[in-house]
Amino acid sequence: MLKVVVFIKQVPDTSSKAGVNPDGTIDRARAKRMLNPFDRYALQKAIEIKRQYGAEVTCVTMGPPPAVEVLVEAFEHGADYGILLTDKRLAASDTLATAYALHMVVRHIGAFDVILTGLQTTDGDTAQVGPQIAERLHIAQITYCEGLSISGTTLSARRVVEGGFQEMEVQLPVLITVANSATPLDYKRFGDVAAVKEFLRHPEEREKRIKIVSLDTIGADSARTGLVGSPTVVGKTWKLGEIGGSCVVFQGESMEREVSELIEKLKADGKGVEELINA
Amino acid sequence: MMAKRIEYDVLFVGGGVASLSAAHRLVDLAKQNNASVRIGVLEKGKDFGAHVLSGAVSNPRSVKKLFPDYETNGFPLEGKCAQSNVTILGRKKAWDMPSFFAPPELNKTGYLILSLSEVCRWMAANLHEKVKETPSIVVDLYTGFAGQEILYDGNRVAGVRVDSTGNAENDNCYAKVTVFGDKMFLSRDLYAKFNLTPTPQTWAVGVKEVWETEKDLSGKVWHTIGFPLLDGSFGGGFIYGLKDKKLAIGMVTGLDSDNPALRPPQILQSLKKHPWVQEMLKGGKIVKYGASLIPEGGYYSLPREFAVDGAMVVGDALGVLDVKGFSGVDKAMETGMTAAETLFAAVQKKDYSAATLGAYKQALMDGWVGQELKKSRYYRWAFHENKKLFSDYLPTVVNGLDDANIYAGGVSAFLSGPAGLIGSALDLKKLMDGGTEIGPVQWKDDRTNTKPDFKAKPLAEPDGFVKGTVYSTADVVFYANTHYHHGNAHITEFNAEACKRCIGRYHGSGNEVPCAGDCTAEVHEVREKDGVKYHFMNLENCVQCRTCEIVCPEKNLRVNGAEHGSGPDFTGL
Repeated sequence: MLKVVVFIKQVPDTSSKAGVNPDGTIDRARAKRMLNPFDRYALQKAIEIKRQYGAEVTCVTMGPPPAVEVLVEAFEHGADYGILLTDKRLAASDTLATAYALHMVVRHIGAFDVILTGLQTTDGDTAQVGPQIAERLHIAQITYCEGLSISGTTLSARRVVEGGFQEMEVQLPVLITVANSATPLDYKRFGDVAAVKEFLRHPEEREKRIKIVSLDTIGADSARTGLVGSPTVVGKTWKLGEIGGSCVVFQGESMEREVSELIEKLKADGKGVEELINA
Repeated sequence: MMAKRIEYDVLFVGGGVASLSAAHRLVDLAKQNNASVRIGVLEKGKDFGAHVLSGAVSNPRSVKKLFPDYETNGFPLEGKCAQSNVTILGRKKAWDMPSFFAPPELNKTGYLILSLSEVCRWMAANLHEKVKETPSIVVDLYTGFAGQEILYDGNRVAGVRVDSTGNAENDNCYAKVTVFGDKMFLSRDLYAKFNLTPTPQTWAVGVKEVWETEKDLSGKVWHTIGFPLLDGSFGGGFIYGLKDKKLAIGMVTGLDSDNPALRPPQILQSLKKHPWVQEMLKGGKIVKYGASLIPEGGYYSLPREFAVDGAMVVGDALGVLDVKGFSGVDKAMETGMTAAETLFAAVQKKDYSAATLGAYKQALMDGWVGQELKKSRYYRWAFHENKKLFSDYLPTVVNGLDDANIYAGGVSAFLSGPAGLIGSALDLKKLMDGGTEIGPVQWKDDRTNTKPDFKAKPLAEPDGFVKGTVYSTADVVFYANTHYHHGNAHITEFNAEACKRCIGRYHGSGNEVPCAGDCTAEVHEVREKDGVKYHFMNLENCVQCRTCEIVCPEKNLRVNGAEHGSGPDFTGL
């Protein structure tokens, strides 16, 4: 049976008011929480692999204790196991530190065939963690994947590229970031949700299916995680509304004329733009 | 994998305030008696409260009974009413009635100002907390799942089918007792099957907006009559000052109106154009919009039985709102709590028959809910039978109000002896107070009242309103935060030909068809193709109010519960 690992993340609900802290980071405590929408496609693909080829699906998330909610949601969609990596020393990890910690979770799991991730998250929006995990694990990666099939130990995939698509074949194991065009999403079935509520009531079953691990459990080096392990520095953040300004549409006799007018305008009034870029 | 039969002792269909009150009371009773019970709650909204909308200013009696420490335990309060007004609106002026004129039921001083959606959200979360340490009591809360069909075992209600697309065994949810707190989304089928309604329910539609304002109006409550509802429809407005400089403003209109095109969201916009309201909204911005049905039939529209074998009905599905005081929350909660006492006894006895569950009706009707409903049993009927009160007399009063000094006398006459003014043989006021006995009243379906050839008197609207404070219906619907997942088909149109007939009749007389004219969210419209007019639905706009089903003259529409957590998000309303 194939072993599929899916990385998922809990992010602030975009429909709630996630404030910004004075230091420019997101105030997560005030926001409602949700499963990163991109991850639903990765999870859906994992469930499809399970249905088609037979697989054991393990979802992995990293975050504070409430992040266990996204594991429960994954179970409701049909995942088999969940791992929550939670440790205060992970706070403020950038993509480098996060990918380090998460690849250590994979090493902790042991054998695996396919790792699936979403394209990116709606909070950090970097799209870097998936590829970095693949690099750290020294395995093949296929990004922006919108279709795949597995035969023996060979995986054929189709990935989105600018202006078309690319088809490729790799040997397992492989990490795949799943494009939103890969699959329509299923709705939760009532019976599945009821079954999850039932198993969560039984401590032995719960412990069998949800593992909560720390940096020590997975043998990770805390110097390479969290703020100390993150070379990224947040310079400054803006609220989009505060930048202000207005929109000018250049309409002239010809395209050339419009472009030269735009260049003139930028030279004359464009100081704010430079400041913004250099800040 | 063999599907396991999903079964609870008690299943609540609908996660509104009545169901949640029942669930809380049931959990309390089980805890006090060290009893075990398995409870399931189905809520079709994506969260608890997402499809819940009410005014709401409520008598604290029920909240206090269920949560004695409600002032300190985090129960979400928007404030306490410090100033309660009944206000007559002319086209330009507003006049607060002196309290000795105003109906005492509308004096809300000391009452709780609530956002019922927030209350439901809190009650659901709090229910989970309550049973956390008590494994013998199971409470499973499901969001995004609506009951779609009642399941029977012979004549006993056995549960509901949860998924309209599935017919597997694990798409069903079974229960020893199914409690319907669903505002008749599904319980109307129960009523029909057992022929439980002696007379139909009569409904009103309420539309509501919440605003953030510059002014702090917290603790102030206004109920308005007069402008802009001058077409003869029964109804009025409400404006409640909430905490944090928020304002709830809404309009309620009876669906027993002659007018086939009430355009409820636009009645509310007209109210907002009034200079007196404009003053409150100044510098503010809209936060949310929503709409909901209100059962107004009262005492005589209650079903014959409140329970059958394996099922009970609570809250708006039962129809316990008292239209005289425009209050339903306290009564809905009381139905839930009373039902829970009966439920607990039934679970203890393991007897879920109509005979055992039926004790609930007796208990409720012997208590204050029954007494109050009985007292105001003719109130709504008096207005229904004397439509002139709203179509002729009220506009006269309202015009008088704008003409400076003569209004006080007019209003006084309106309230003290309107019967004489409309030439009715009945002493109307006595009737409204329940002092006269005229036997049971027989409501007709609301749909039978609309007149294809209705002529609306043009409404002279005040000018000078700030443009950004009023919206087209298409724009205001945006603030219901409605979202539908793919493949939703939650309104069934049974027969396209019936729609064409209806369009012919209403458009032929120069009026809009009722489904389009009364829609709160621009769902229904009449389109034309190859010279043939037909009914079209923009289902993605729907706020699940069910007005179209009530007013459709052809009985040709059925609104089903939204699935997969689709529908509006009324959180904060």
